[in-house]
Amino acid sequence: MLPNKIELNRIKILKGIIFAALAIILVRLFFIQIVEHGDWVAKAEEQHTLLETITAKRGEIYMMDHGEPVAVVLNQTTYQIVIDPTVTKKEDIEKIISTYAKDYSTADLNEIYNQEGLRYSIVARNIPHSIAEQIVSSETPAIWLKKTNQRVYPEGELAANVLGFVNADGIGQYGVEGAMNDILAGKDGLLKTTADINKVALSIGNDNVKIPAEDGKNVILSIDRGFEQGVEELTKAALANSPATNAAVLAMDPNTGEVLAMANLPSYNPSDYGNVKDTSSYINYTTEVPYEPASVCKSFTFSAAINEGRMNPDTTYVNHGYEIIDNQTINNAEKRASLNGAISMRTALYWSLNTGSIHALKLLGNDTENITAEAREKLYDYYYNKFRLGQPTGIELYEAEGFVWDPHADIYGLNAAYANMTFGQNLSLTMIQVASAFSAVVNGGTYHAPTVVKGTKTAEQEILSNETSATMRSLLVNNRSNKVLRGIDRPGYSVGGKTGTAQVIKDGAYTMDEYVGSYAGFVGTNGELPKIVIMVKIWGEGQHIEGNKEPMSLFDSLSNYAIDYFKIKPGV
Amino acid sequence: MINQTTYVSRRGTFTGNSFARNRNTVRHTKRSLGSISQIVIVSMLTLVFGLIYVAEGTKATGFDYELSSVESEITEMNARLDDLAVEKARLTSVAAAKNSTVAAAMEDAVVTGYVAE
Repeated sequence: MLPNKIELNRIKILKGIIFAALAIILVRLFFIQIVEHGDWVAKAEEQHTLLETITAKRGEIYMMDHGEPVAVVLNQTTYQIVIDPTVTKKEDIEKIISTYAKDYSTADLNEIYNQEGLRYSIVARNIPHSIAEQIVSSETPAIWLKKTNQRVYPEGELAANVLGFVNADGIGQYGVEGAMNDILAGKDGLLKTTADINKVALSIGNDNVKIPAEDGKNVILSIDRGFEQGVEELTKAALANSPATNAAVLAMDPNTGEVLAMANLPSYNPSDYGNVKDTSSYINYTTEVPYEPASVCKSFTFSAAINEGRMNPDTTYVNHGYEIIDNQTINNAEKRASLNGAISMRTALYWSLNTGSIHALKLLGNDTENITAEAREKLYDYYYNKFRLGQPTGIELYEAEGFVWDPHADIYGLNAAYANMTFGQNLSLTMIQVASAFSAVVNGGTYHAPTVVKGTKTAEQEILSNETSATMRSLLVNNRSNKVLRGIDRPGYSVGGKTGTAQVIKDGAYTMDEYVGSYAGFVGTNGELPKIVIMVKIWGEGQHIEGNKEPMSLFDSLSNYAIDYFKIKPGV
Repeated sequence: MINQTTYVSRRGTFTGNSFARNRNTVRHTKRSLGSISQIVIVSMLTLVFGLIYVAEGTKATGFDYELSSVESEITEMNARLDDLAVEKARLTSVAAAKNSTVAAAMEDAVVTGYVAE
């Protein structure tokens, strides 16, 4: 009997063990299915759900080239080589890089393999698709290719300050890339779907969502690529022969407001923006930096007085070489004695006499001796309301506002400030503001808001009479009469312009140690409205750059280049 | 005396509780499958429906893989297209044209005519 009893006990024990095991399983199942239900469902969903952003394709940027758009900013899919130094054999990756990706290597392999615990490292970047394919087909184990989107600037430094760049986060910075980022970027889409183990999207499941991406829009700039290149080359050459370090040039069609060229030097390569040492190279000086354009503004003051019928080119005044206003002495830069006494306004503009533009201001107030409130109001009306100086122009780029004095500002020396404003000092304007206003002076009197986007119909307003504009053209052409004599301005063409030399404010006061030189001019067929307006600004730290030197000389080259490039026909 | 025989249909009468001779009788009884048959049939139907479900599911997934493959191909083609566009832009860029040997051998342009307006 004893063996049977032992067997019975064994069965009981076995039963007990089985029941205990079942109980443990049941308890565990209870925890998994009831208590931890939510966590396990989330884990399962994480494994079976593919959630990814559908990246919108960024819009491309085009420039014009003799009437045809050409791509100057594009997108390219590129790849990074990623390795895990604990898994990837050093000799394997060395072979891959030396065979396929020597030009794209970005890391020191010795340094990577000497680091302990490193599990992730990018050893090459910006590898084109074709090379990535070769790397994949080499079937080298334990290296991974990570897809990235790269912005490509095939023109290098050309118009870099107009184009801007896209940073590592895919956000446009500076230039068109920055200012028109919302249009170019588009809108990313979303894909949420059930997926298999290889993350292939499957249509099974009830919660699948696919919101397609909205690609960014392409932008066609009004800038002419070939003309821009020529302008930049000539500007570079001018800068090389000058003590100045910086130059900015703006060329536009005065009859539409379309910008044809925008050059900024020194420039940079947007593809390599990260290695730029001086970030001021990113700045577009034609729109983003206001300054005092100096005597270029005399064109606006004279236009206002002529348009109001208060003067004509033969109106005379007595030039003493200086004016005392609000106890401040304002001198002419040109001091030759032959100009003292009664001279015409034509002569005053030719020699760029400050006393001449101050006299024009007095005439605006219907007075020949004093600057009246009416004179200030009139000048402000022309400067601010008609020429739109000291306010954003609305161009599709980042731009500064600038500043002109209110005619009733509560400051001491307001008349002196206004006297200074007549010759472009004591105010703050951007080149685009000045060039747009100058275009209105010479194009028959219509202000066209400037644009860099081709085909944009911008706001326009008649601000001067045809007669005023014609008179101003003749005065500005007269300013260059010596250029005709010297054969710089070709016969059959109407070329006019105005210099500007401004003292620079340092530590809150005008300094005599640095001048900024400017020149605004136009070129066109004789007897017709101008075809191109060009504005030049040249400067450098501690440099005396006068408008009638480097800037005017550069304008000479640019105006002739514009005639050739756009095949502007000569008139009679 | 007439010997008269009376014919009585044996079919004509039904007496009492007894069955008549040669009478056709039908017994109506409910016919049903056995329990094993039922299990087999239900299992078969389940199997068939399961197979249909699996086949349809696999078919849909098969389309998904095909779609995924086509999409990958489109992505690859687009990448190649972008590469070609970039290459074209590089080759036709002003800097490339200027630095080319062809450009170096060219003479300076002169104005030969004007656009008629």
